[in-house]
Amino acid sequence: MSEITTQAAVSPQVTSPADTGSAVTLQGVSKRFPGVKGADPVVAVDHLDLDIADGEFFSLLGPSGCGKTTTLRMIAGFEYPSAGSIQIFGDEVGLEPPNKRPVNTVFQSYALFPHMTIEQNIAFGLEMQDLPRAEIKQRTGEVIELVQMQGREQRKPKQLSGGQQQRVALARALVNHPKVLLLDEPLGALDLKLRQAMQDELKRIQEQVGITFVYVTHDQEEALTMSDRIAVMHDGVLLQVGSPEQIYDAPRTRFVADFIGDTNLAEATVVDADHVRLADGTAIRVSSDRAPDSPITVALRPETLGLRQHDAERDQRLDAVQGVVARVTFLGNANRYEVAAADGALVFDVRQGNAPGVEHFAVGDQVRVRWSPSSATVLED
Amino acid sequence: MSILDTGAPGAAAVAEDSVARPRRTVDRLLAGNAWIVFAFLYLPILVLVVYSFNDNNRVGIWTEASLRWYGEMFGNARVMDALRTSILVAVLSTAVSTVLGTAAALSLERFRYKGQRAFDGLLYLPVIIPDITMAVMLLLFFVQAFDIILVLTGVGLSRGLGTITLAHIAFNISFVALVVRARLSGLDSSLEEAAADLYATRWQAFRRVTLPLIAPGVAGGALLALTLSLDDVVIAEFVSGAGSTTLPVYVFGALRRGVTPLINAVSVLMLAGSILLVLASLAISRRRSGEA
Repeated sequence: MSEITTQAAVSPQVTSPADTGSAVTLQGVSKRFPGVKGADPVVAVDHLDLDIADGEFFSLLGPSGCGKTTTLRMIAGFEYPSAGSIQIFGDEVGLEPPNKRPVNTVFQSYALFPHMTIEQNIAFGLEMQDLPRAEIKQRTGEVIELVQMQGREQRKPKQLSGGQQQRVALARALVNHPKVLLLDEPLGALDLKLRQAMQDELKRIQEQVGITFVYVTHDQEEALTMSDRIAVMHDGVLLQVGSPEQIYDAPRTRFVADFIGDTNLAEATVVDADHVRLADGTAIRVSSDRAPDSPITVALRPETLGLRQHDAERDQRLDAVQGVVARVTFLGNANRYEVAAADGALVFDVRQGNAPGVEHFAVGDQVRVRWSPSSATVLED
Repeated sequence: MSILDTGAPGAAAVAEDSVARPRRTVDRLLAGNAWIVFAFLYLPILVLVVYSFNDNNRVGIWTEASLRWYGEMFGNARVMDALRTSILVAVLSTAVSTVLGTAAALSLERFRYKGQRAFDGLLYLPVIIPDITMAVMLLLFFVQAFDIILVLTGVGLSRGLGTITLAHIAFNISFVALVVRARLSGLDSSLEEAAADLYATRWQAFRRVTLPLIAPGVAGGALLALTLSLDDVVIAEFVSGAGSTTLPVYVFGALRRGVTPLINAVSVLMLAGSILLVLASLAISRRRSGEA
């Protein structure tokens, strides 16, 4: 436990040139919690490296217990890292208490002070910084307008709906002009409709104020729609960082492919640098750097697959597998087909839109599942 | 059907809204029981109060109404001394035990440290051990401690107001901690994190967020401590010295010399004080529920 690094304390004059433009930098950050009654320590976050750019909407995405909230709490200062360095705009803050860090947090439970009015709640941070009364009044008024809560300043938090409390929590953090805003599943307690409205609202506010947002969520759809970049975490380990498109279109691991959206995972063996062979013997075009005959997994998104009758014309630009429709589910705007190939060793989940002129299939139909080689992705594990 | 049949017109309407109506026999029995319990509790108090206004040297014989014994009570230097001692001990021990008890509750709920579990268990000991055990224990402790102090420093201390106050602090800390802790455990700890996140120092977070939110618990604990201190006979009897007598100890002693209506008047005074405290605590808890 003695490996806590305090780079700032060791060499205060360090100004890394790479820091220009990065809001939050995590280097080798780990967090271990002591085990209960002599059990092994629990590793919540394991050697995490992250670089979050200034002005970015950055999401930490993963299932519960993946370490995303612990990571956020370490940036906020509610937990101290067991090892590694946390920098905010180049300043080492890893061991600073929360009140000394230029960040503010929107809590999952909102954590509004129940004994204070909305106005007092929002003004709290400014009062703690001993700002002049006139400035507090002015800035409080500005954010109340920003989150559209005018006329409710004198109410108590309990008198507001969940969505309104959410806005107040956001205003209370934003009023301090933090360098980085940390959001811990802020929409988790809202119902679906309100959630979607708040997603748009959050994005609008983030673009308006231009502050770096670090957003923790387990909802992949939320992360995909709002973020500039997403970091996917699992079991305390960072699996992949990238834009929503990169994460969705080119997942690097089985977990990422499976966690973000729906996906087909097909086991295959490498033929050469540009081809692999599926379980039914079909060779398909996808490049991999593995040695011939090594087993790999290919990921295919259901909406990139198309269905044709088995005797339909062959298109040399597409890869295809022969199969039988095993199940059909009507989704309204689309049909979902489960197609079994190679006696069930390969099962494809195909989503085909219900546009006019699109062929429909029934259970038992012989079909060809087709896709463009560019939509197939080889996974690392 | 028979219990629903009230003979009133529109029997169907009655039957419909009678779903939530309790059965009458049970209803009457419960109400009767409530009255019996009520009478059992309050008739003796009524007798006590009525006879405190009796103008007779004997307690049990009614002559005529007068304020004679109240006059004697306020004129009696020993009663007034005991009353002053009681109030002084109660106020001092409540003030100190409220601060220490709240701090103990905070340390148990909000921090993790070595020996915490042991402290947790030991803190509640004064709540469960009998008063008489506590009294003997404290007496022995004071005797021993004063001997050691005499040997080491040559200062001779004796039991009195100070020892009673210390003894009351000792058991009141536990009660205050118990009440404050109940309030604190219901408090979302992210509120304190939010305060820290909004640039509050530890003290500011406590002062502006934690304390106002646990205030009803702290006030409730303080009232409990005040009541327990004013009420205590056994411990005060053991650890008091010559010249320092609390009111309950005085009453207890006076009873052994024979009951006079003066005791009634003193008891009514104590009763009035207790009722005021109960009303105060009700007012506080009502304000709390109004807030939440």
